[in-house]
Amino acid sequence: MIARRDTAGPLRVAVPKGALFAECLEVFSRAGLDVAPLSDAGRRLVVGSGDVSFVIAKPSDIPVYVAYGAVDCAIAGADVLLEARLDIVELVDLGFGRCRFVVAELEDAADDVEEAYRRLGVIRVATKYPRITETHFAAKGVQVEIVGLGGNIEIAPLIGLADRIVDITATGTTLRENRLRVVEEVLESTARFVANPASLRLRSDEVATLARSLASAVPLE
Amino acid sequence: MTPRGFRDVLPEEAAEREAIARAVADAMAAWGYGRVETPVVERLDVLEAGAGVDRDAFRLTDLDGTLLALRPEMTLPVARVVASRLADEPGPHRLRYVAPVFRESASLRGESRQFTQLGLELVGASGPEADAEVVAVLVESLRAAGLRGFTVAVGTVALIEALLEASGADGRWRDAVRAAAHRRDVVALDRLAEEASVPAEISAALSGTSRLRGGADAVAEATRLARAAGCADSLDGMAALWDLLAAAGVDGPVIADFGIVRSFDYYTGLVIEAYAPGLGVPVGGGGRYDGLLAALGSPAPAAGFAVGLERLRIALAEQGVGVPTSGPDVVLTGEGERLFAVARQLRSGGRRVVLVPGGSEADARALAERSGADLVRVPDVGAGPDEVRG
Repeated sequence: MIARRDTAGPLRVAVPKGALFAECLEVFSRAGLDVAPLSDAGRRLVVGSGDVSFVIAKPSDIPVYVAYGAVDCAIAGADVLLEARLDIVELVDLGFGRCRFVVAELEDAADDVEEAYRRLGVIRVATKYPRITETHFAAKGVQVEIVGLGGNIEIAPLIGLADRIVDITATGTTLRENRLRVVEEVLESTARFVANPASLRLRSDEVATLARSLASAVPLE
Repeated sequence: MTPRGFRDVLPEEAAEREAIARAVADAMAAWGYGRVETPVVERLDVLEAGAGVDRDAFRLTDLDGTLLALRPEMTLPVARVVASRLADEPGPHRLRYVAPVFRESASLRGESRQFTQLGLELVGASGPEADAEVVAVLVESLRAAGLRGFTVAVGTVALIEALLEASGADGRWRDAVRAAAHRRDVVALDRLAEEASVPAEISAALSGTSRLRGGADAVAEATRLARAAGCADSLDGMAALWDLLAAAGVDGPVIADFGIVRSFDYYTGLVIEAYAPGLGVPVGGGGRYDGLLAALGSPAPAAGFAVGLERLRIALAEQGVGVPTSGPDVVLTGEGERLFAVARQLRSGGRRVVLVPGGSEADARALAERSGADLVRVPDVGAGPDEVRG
């Protein structure tokens, strides 16, 4: 768990590309950071802005960047943080990027799944989040076989790959379009401002200042 | 082939490791710590008596079916020594160690399963003086190794335990707070503290102290929050600790950090984590574990720390701190008895001498250049060494 890097110089902050990116820009901007380099990043993945250097990252890789100390802090969804289970300090709930983790199944499948569970004693669940899924079903005492997929989880029940899925949903549209309905809620996720435990001590003032200004910049309208 | 997670250490690196370990050992010895060695293998039931089930322990089975484990850390073995072999001797005991420890890790992550820990345990002493001694030796050990710009964060688990006790809340809530603190999840901690059933002062102290870091001012602020919550006792000694560290000349790199919570079933008071620039993980850590010796049948207060040699070496390399190691001073080439006689003479003068008997002078010269030593050719006859290259 060790990244080698120069620790003088600007504070390094990872920003998730994709769904959370625009709101990250807005919250950084409200917190008084110069986000021009981020919005004009083009294809560059590391862009500087005075005291802060932004690293644009795949959302699910952010916990790894932070835990290894390759970046000092980051914005990351609670979902990827929970799934990664790494040593990271969660400092601020930014409130945006709200989505729910749900268990879903085909609209017309309820009896089939219950029946299969009675007969086989196991339900097959497809997900991108095997750890969260395992923890959820273990707490309920339900035996599941987890099928790990990289994306398009909704397709799994349609093609008979799994009985149910565990996935995140913001509006539920994708679920409905794939004839899936929510069976139960697993947990809710929002974007968090997080820090590497070493950076929190070695660059305590910078990290704490950024955390405070982000906390006062939310909620976004 | 070595098994997954184990590796060989070649002379150049080994010399650096040796030099670091010696510098740290000297710093500890200056405070009166004597070295102990314990078996690499412990009985699993003894390990678990002290620290609960250790899922990371590297397990083995004895021929009679007894479950064994390679030691995953040194605190328990040292505590076992004190509780058994030293039980009748008056304390406090000051013991240090340099020891390989072993931890199981998931396959495919490429993590080491063997590490070397440099550490100490102070058994049979408590109070601010004992805590200050442990923190001071840690700072001096890291300084002795040549590390610069490091931070030693000092906190206490007594505060959060006292707040949980004073909250009057149920066990489930307490466990959730402990888990959030352990995950370093300040967001979840705030949310739990805000629950309606929690008294406002407890809630303010839980949220406030979890993000509190700094010097004497942070200690004062934590004390204020704790007093308001009726838990001032839990920080007794923290202010005194600060004064002692200043008197020992080690307060510079130390910060108070009430957000550090190492494993709860182990630590009972002081908790320490040391961080070095360029290293995203602690270079060392420790704390006070007053319950452990009792679990081994010989109650005594105790505190200690361990520093990871591998991590310390990486941190030093990051800072470009050269670890002074000593190769040979002289490469001596020549023939027969004369060679050995001259080498003996040079060694008695304190020089490190490598012999290259017979062989080609080119080989000897290459070796001398590689190791930065002088090349000396011993003539077949003659009174002394004939220096051919200085």
